[in-house]
Parts: sequence; structure tokens; C-alpha cells
Amino acid sequence: MGKMKKLFRYENIGILFVFPAFLYMLIFVGYPIIRNIILSFQDVNAGNLVKGTKNFILFDNYMELFSDNVFRSSLSNTLRYTVLCLVFQFIIGFALALFFNRKFTLAKPIRGILLVPWMIPVTVTALMFKLLFATDIGVINYLLRSLHLIDTNVEWLTTPGTAMFALICANVWIGIPFNMILISTGLTTIPGELYESASIDGANKVQTFFRITLPLLKPTVESVLVLGFIYTFKVYDLVYVMTSGGPVNSTHMLSTYSYKLSFEMFKYSKGSAVANVLLLILLVVGMSYIKITTEGEEK
Amino acid sequence: MKKKKIVALLTALAVTIGLFAGCGAEKETEDASGTASNTSGESQPEESEPEVSEAEEASAGEAVTIWYYWETEGHQVALDQVIQDYNASQDKYEVTAKYVPFADFKKQLSIGASADELPDIAILDSPDHASYVDMGIFEDLTGKFDVGSYYEGAVNSCTVDGKLYGVPFGVNCLALYYNEDMLNDAGCKVPTTWDELKETAKALTTESVTGLALCSVQNEEGTFNFVPWLWSTGASSYDINNENGIRALAFIQDLVNEGVMSKECINWTQGDVMNQFIAGNVAMMENGPWQIPTMQAEAPELNWKVTLIPKDSEYSSVLGGENYAVINGGNVEGALDFLTYSTSEEQVKFMMDKFGYISANQSIAETQFEADSPYQPFVEELKYAMPRGPLAEWPSVSDAISLAFNQVITGTATPEDAAAEAQATIDSIVK
Amino acid sequence: MDGEKRLSRRNNIILCIISLFILCLLLFPLYWALITSLKMEREIFQNPPTFYPHILNLQSYAAQVETGDFNMFRSFANSFLISLGATVIAVLLAVPASYGIARYYFKGRKFMLLAFLVTQMLPVSVLLTPMFIMFKNMHVYNTWIAAMLADATIGIPFSILILKNYFASIPKDLEEAAYLDGCNRFTAFGRILIPIARPGVMVCAIFSFLYAWGDLAYGMTFILDQEKRPITAGIFNFMGQYGTKWSYLTAFAVVTIIPVALIFIFMQKYIVSGMTSGAVKG
Repeated sequence: MGKMKKLFRYENIGILFVFPAFLYMLIFVGYPIIRNIILSFQDVNAGNLVKGTKNFILFDNYMELFSDNVFRSSLSNTLRYTVLCLVFQFIIGFALALFFNRKFTLAKPIRGILLVPWMIPVTVTALMFKLLFATDIGVINYLLRSLHLIDTNVEWLTTPGTAMFALICANVWIGIPFNMILISTGLTTIPGELYESASIDGANKVQTFFRITLPLLKPTVESVLVLGFIYTFKVYDLVYVMTSGGPVNSTHMLSTYSYKLSFEMFKYSKGSAVANVLLLILLVVGMSYIKITTEGEEK
Repeated sequence: MKKKKIVALLTALAVTIGLFAGCGAEKETEDASGTASNTSGESQPEESEPEVSEAEEASAGEAVTIWYYWETEGHQVALDQVIQDYNASQDKYEVTAKYVPFADFKKQLSIGASADELPDIAILDSPDHASYVDMGIFEDLTGKFDVGSYYEGAVNSCTVDGKLYGVPFGVNCLALYYNEDMLNDAGCKVPTTWDELKETAKALTTESVTGLALCSVQNEEGTFNFVPWLWSTGASSYDINNENGIRALAFIQDLVNEGVMSKECINWTQGDVMNQFIAGNVAMMENGPWQIPTMQAEAPELNWKVTLIPKDSEYSSVLGGENYAVINGGNVEGALDFLTYSTSEEQVKFMMDKFGYISANQSIAETQFEADSPYQPFVEELKYAMPRGPLAEWPSVSDAISLAFNQVITGTATPEDAAAEAQATIDSIVK
Repeated sequence: MDGEKRLSRRNNIILCIISLFILCLLLFPLYWALITSLKMEREIFQNPPTFYPHILNLQSYAAQVETGDFNMFRSFANSFLISLGATVIAVLLAVPASYGIARYYFKGRKFMLLAFLVTQMLPVSVLLTPMFIMFKNMHVYNTWIAAMLADATIGIPFSILILKNYFASIPKDLEEAAYLDGCNRFTAFGRILIPIARPGVMVCAIFSFLYAWGDLAYGMTFILDQEKRPITAGIFNFMGQYGTKWSYLTAFAVVTIIPVALIFIFMQKYIVSGMTSGAVKG
């Protein structure tokens, strides 16, 4: 009975709430993760996918990656892309959330409409941006030329550096509503009384922002950033459609390279290894998140 | 107090179970409605078999499934017509066709192979054929099919180690389209050599028009469009780092540097190139015969003609098209029976005509078109067309070639460096 | 922050104008999609680009209704069912889970939180094959359920991460008051906490829905029959081996946005009221 009692400790009831979701994810994603790890230690390609022996070659795939130029550039591309996207979409999204939190007539309808970029399949968005960034017929070049910001057309998608810029623009465009809505939702959890008492105490807007809004929004901000990081880091559709990793592999990401290895070049194990490197980096991010958020909250 | 806790716990369990039961029940109802929608697919009753490979004995006959990737409505309708006629002609087999998008086709075959969930027939892009033969999912058709009258290159694309693993569906190749009005206005003749091509392209290039366009995306499609130039110098796909290979790369780089070919070509698929051509932004393009129906429909007033791809030392083109492959372990007899039907002259003529394809069967192809048909130059060009591969590792070789090609277009490498790098990659694949 | 203050009429007008400006700026790509869909294919390729269609072309919209064996209305219904199913699964599982994580400091809590995050860390491409094998064994391959189950795996961890903050921000006094009124933990959760967290739940439902709505990879891979595929599958009619048909493609984008946008506008009152009343009066 004592043991039972311990098991039924107040806090452990929480498991019952969490368990169904946990089990669901374990079944549907846990198995793929384990299978993928095993695959990355084997030598599976077109020849032995269906029949033939799959040899365990342990870390050979991973070792091979380190001498692979495309892998190295995809790794640095992915990091650069993720950080830049995150910075811009978060700042703009945050600013818009604060802006639309003010109670003017159009605040709510427009905030709602701004969610529209989220209703378009990413593949379509990517194609739209490809059209906008086209060199000769693209409207972005046309507008820049009309404003006399450029003299000759910029070859956005055919020059390595600017192609990355175009990708980031497209991703930020999708990411702004995401950040804005989630932060707006977070703002509703801050009691209005706090602001009232702050203004009675004579705090100015900047002070209220840093003393009240930001600290109380911390959990939301942390969640939004970690989710944003994960989703941006494994970007696939957008890059595949807009640049397919080009020009000259300059915008390959870990996910697009993994796809290319697995499904275009039939190097399944190597593709899995790339995906696992991606997972490993995100695992570090995830663990830091857990450490930061749960620090000091345990009784 | 204790009692309360136990009640709470039981409630929690009930909630948990309820959640699962809820989901389970939902699954079942969805399943039922899923099946219901299956059977109510009236427009295409032949597509309503839920689990084809397991449906051994359907009332209408043994199931035979086909996967194909043509999204063009005309193609789908034509194939569907042949299938319906076949199904009506006998009652032993019931053929159904499933559309799998081109971008997903290789992936779906790979996944299907892992999960043992494949069709009975796949109609696939010819350069990929050897890889799937290597995977061991295709049936050996040697001696079961007479391909004697087919184009040699097409037969080669589905032959591995002397064994036949497929039947060519239809063939195509690339040739040079030119805007006749632009050529006349500029007072140019139809180019036949590289030098003439460059001169003509220069003369045709204006403020809003570039002389030449060819799809240069960094994938198989780009390789497809580049190898005719490579082969024309006498270089092979596996031997690039030599004078010939470098000359081909340098020629393309030169076209871009001179401004007669747009760098944007690296983002243009063959369809995009065609759209640029019919919009009048491009005066000449390298493209295939399958564009002709679209061009005739979308730009009927445009005055264009087709000629051989200009040569360096010899005329050259690349063989494209699809092959039928029969999956082993599936309904092989049924698949073969359907293939026999669909490769008969009458059916081939019907489909090729609707597709804008050239029959892979040379005896049919030679009488397929009128002498003044825009397709006729492609039949001529086919004499110079060679297949890619066949090689199980072709995707990796192709990747190296398209990378080199893209490097010179974007100016990120000299032809010499690009050729050397590609050669190093190719040597590590092909010993 | 200035939320509770009344705005003067002048400020209200200024803010409205600024917000309209932001709207135009951010939705310019959508405007471009709209006018592109109304242009002839040749006008799209004109240099310089035109800002309104000089020749109106409605052909691209006619083509949406039925192309080959793709039927837009049927695909729309499929997408709607799949997304709704995925949303229901995600919300049913994620709402209790996020409450559990926010309120109870049980053993393994950190591990479970990390586990939920880990499930989002693999690119979709490597999940496809093992999921496919699983769905085949579950006999749901080539049905909507496969896509639903797969799509819910995106919505669940997302919702848990967002909602746990919500539940954590609700003062404990409220729950304790409920216990005094005779509620147990589960009835308190259902009667007191969920209503308070409604804006959060709504947002999670919306995002779960939209994740499923925009999904292409799962729907294409796990469903082979064209008549059961989601609306996103339609994109392949206009973007494929034979190049991109821009007018058709952008018309497709417009057509896919409209119904969802209408649902959201219709539900706007509900969402917005949730957002305003949701503020917890501590």
C-alpha cells in the first residue's frame, strides 16, 4: 500500500494526462526515429534495399560526410539560414503582436487576415516567391529599378549569396504570422491590472515592456523560439521548390541534401546519416530549452 | 481523502481510455466512410480498388496496377482510353492506373520497394531504369518480348548485363527550336555548327530577347539538356576532363558571358524554357517534341521551326522517354498480357499521337508523321540520339555533370576546374 | 501594454492607417498571385511586369474545377476531413498533456517534454518510409486516416509546447477554489481550466488545422488514389515535368485560400472573443 501511495503521489497524476499523447508520438514517430538510426549505421543503397544483406558499417557514413563538401556547406547554410530567419521573423512578429495588441478598430480583423500566408501550401508560396524574384520578369527587380535602388537587374536566384537572401525573405514572410499570433496569444495571459499599477507607479512604456511584458512573456517567447528553430532548421519544401539547393549547391540544407541522397541518388544510409546529424543538433537545442525552462521551477 | 484520490485516478484512467476509444471509434467510422467513397467513385470505377496488390480475385478479373507520372490531362486520358479498351477486350485482368507525380515518382518507388507495396507495371523515366534493376524489383523479360524493331538506344536503356528488364514506351530527343520571324528579321540562316549558332544567337539578342535558352537546372533534367553538347565534341559522359569536355563547358560559359544565353536558365525547367520561347523572350531553344501540342495550343500564331542541334564535331542528341517495367512478385502474367496489347501498332499509334511522342518502335516511328510535320525533325534527330547510362549509379554521374555545367554557367568555376572536379567524382563512381 | 487604455479617435485613425499599410506590404505577394492568375501566360512573361492584367484571363479558374482525374471540390472535402481529423486528434491529446506538464512535477516530466520536441526533429523525408510500413500494417494505407494520423504528429508537440505556458499562467487559486466547490482534478480541468485556456486551445487547433491543410508529403505518400488525395495534390497539375503554368498555379493558390479564409473570417468572432476574454484576472 505504501508503494501504491507513492505511485499515486499528487504530482504523478500528471503522467495520466500526458501519457496518451506520449504514447501516440512514441508509436508514430518513435519507431521511425529508431529505424532511421539503425539505417544510418548500415550500407543500404539501391542494390540491397529490397534483397541482399545489409551490412553494419557503423560510423562509416558519418565519417564520409565530414569529407563531403556539399554536406559541410549544407550544415553551415542550414545554421545561417535558421538564425537569420529566426531573428527577422521573431522581431517583426513580436513588433506586430505588440502593435495589434492595441485596441484600435481594425486591430483584430487585420491580425486575422495576416494569418493568410499560413493557409497557402508552402510549395505554392515557394513558387510565388520564385516568380517575384525572377531576374527579368520579376516584380522585385522592377520595383527596385523604379525606385532607382539598382541599375541593372539583380540575378536573385542564380547567384549564391542572393539566392540565400531570397529564401530567407520567403521564409520570414511565412514566419511572421506564426510568431505574431503566438505572441499575441501569450500577451492575453498577462493581467491588465499589472499595467495599470505600473502606470500608477509612473513607469514609462519602455520600462513596462522590459519589466512586465518581457518577463511574463518569457515562457511563450522560449516556446516560440525553440519551435521556430526546429521548424526552420528542417526546412525542406521551400528550398526544394525555390532553388533545389542551387545555384551550384549553394543553398543546400541538411534536409534537402538528405532527401537528394535518399531518393534521388539511392544512398539511403547516407541520407539517414545526414538526417541524424540534423537531429543531433536539434537535440542540443531542445535540451538547452528544457534546461532553461525547467530551471528552478521544481519544488 | 484517500477515496477522493482513487476516484480521481479512476476518472483519469477513464479519460485516457476514452481518448483512445474515441480515436479508435473515429478511425473506424473514417475507415468506413473512406471505403464508402471508394465504392462511390463513379466517374472512374476502375480506380476504386482499395488494396490492389492484395485484391487477388476481384469480380472483374485479376487486378493489374500501373504507376505513371504524366500530369498532362491529354496523356492521362489517352492512357485511360487504352486501359479501358483493354479491360473491355478480355475479362481475365482488370487494369487500373495510378498517377504518382514526377517529383515523387522515384521516392514512391523506393518507399514502395521497402514496404513491399508496388504496382505491377511502372512507366518510368528511362535513365532511372538501371537503378531499379539493381534494386531487383523488375522482372527479367528476356525472350518474352520481341524488341527487334525498336530503336537500339531505347532498348539499351532497359537492358542490363544483356538482359531485358523493360519495354520502351515511347521515345523523344532534344532538338533546336527557332523563332523563324526573328531569324528572318535579323537576316540569319539556320545554324548548323557551334560557331554559326553563336553568331546567330548574338544577332538575335536584343534588349528584351536572348538568343538561346536551354534548361540547365541542377538535376537530371539539366544533364539531359547538356549531354548533347558534351557528346557533340566526342567526349563521353564518363570522360569529361579532356580537351573535348572542357570545350563543351567553355562553349556554354561563353554563351552566358556573351549575354546570348540567360543565367536564369539554371532555374528554368524545360517547360519554363518553352514558356519563355512562346512569350518571345527567347529566339532559339533546345527542347523536346512533347512541347509541341502545348505550343500549338497556347501560341498558334507563333512562327517556329525545329532543326538539328548544331554540332561541334558530330551531330548529337540525347534519348529520352519512358519505359514500361514489370515488377517481379506482382501479377507478372497480367502485366505481360497488357503490355502485349498496349505495344501493338494500333495502340502505340493512338497513344503516341495523343502524347506528342515518337514511337520507340522504329518501324512505326518512320511512318508516324507527315513529311512537313513539326515532329519530323525529331525523327531525323533520333538517328543521332544516344541514351544516358544505362548504369545503376547514373544518378550520381548525372549529378556530377549537372554540377559542372552549373558551375560554368554561374561563373563559380572555370571550365577546366569544373571538368576536373566532375571527373574526380565520376572516377570514384565508375571504376 | 496600452491595451486597457481607451484610444483617442485621432490615434485610432492613425493606427488604422498604419495597420492598413502593414497589411498591403505583407500581402503584396498575395496580390501578385491574384493578378498573375488573371493574366494570360504570355503577359506573365512580359518584361517589364504589368501590375494589372491587360487582357483578363479566366481560363485558369475554369481549369481548377476539373483537370484530368483531379477534382477540386472532392479534394477540398478530402483536405477538410483530413485536417479536421488531425486537429481533433491533436487537441484531444495535447490539451490534457500540456496541462499535465504545466501543473504536475512528476518524474520523467523533463524527459517527456524533450521527447515531444525530439519527435519534431527529423525531416519529413526520412519519416516517410517507416510510417508507410506502419500504415500498411495497420491497414490504413491509402485512406484518409493515414494522413490524419501522420498530420497529427505535427500538431501534438506544437500544441503541447504552446499550451503548457497557458496552463502555467493560470493562477493555482482558481483550481483550489474549484476543489473546495467539490470538483476533483479532472472535473476542475474540464470545467475551469479549459474554458480559461480557450484562446490557447483555439490557436493550437488553428495551427494544427493549418499544418495538416498545408501538408503535401504525407498526403501524397500515404494516399495513392487521386480521388482521396488532399487539395495540395492539385499543385502537381500545374507544376511538373512540363514546366510551371503560372496562371493556373496562382489561380490554384487563390482558390485554395478562399474557403479556408472564409472559415476563419466566419469564426473570427469566436476566436477574437476568446482572445479578449481570455486574460486571466489574477
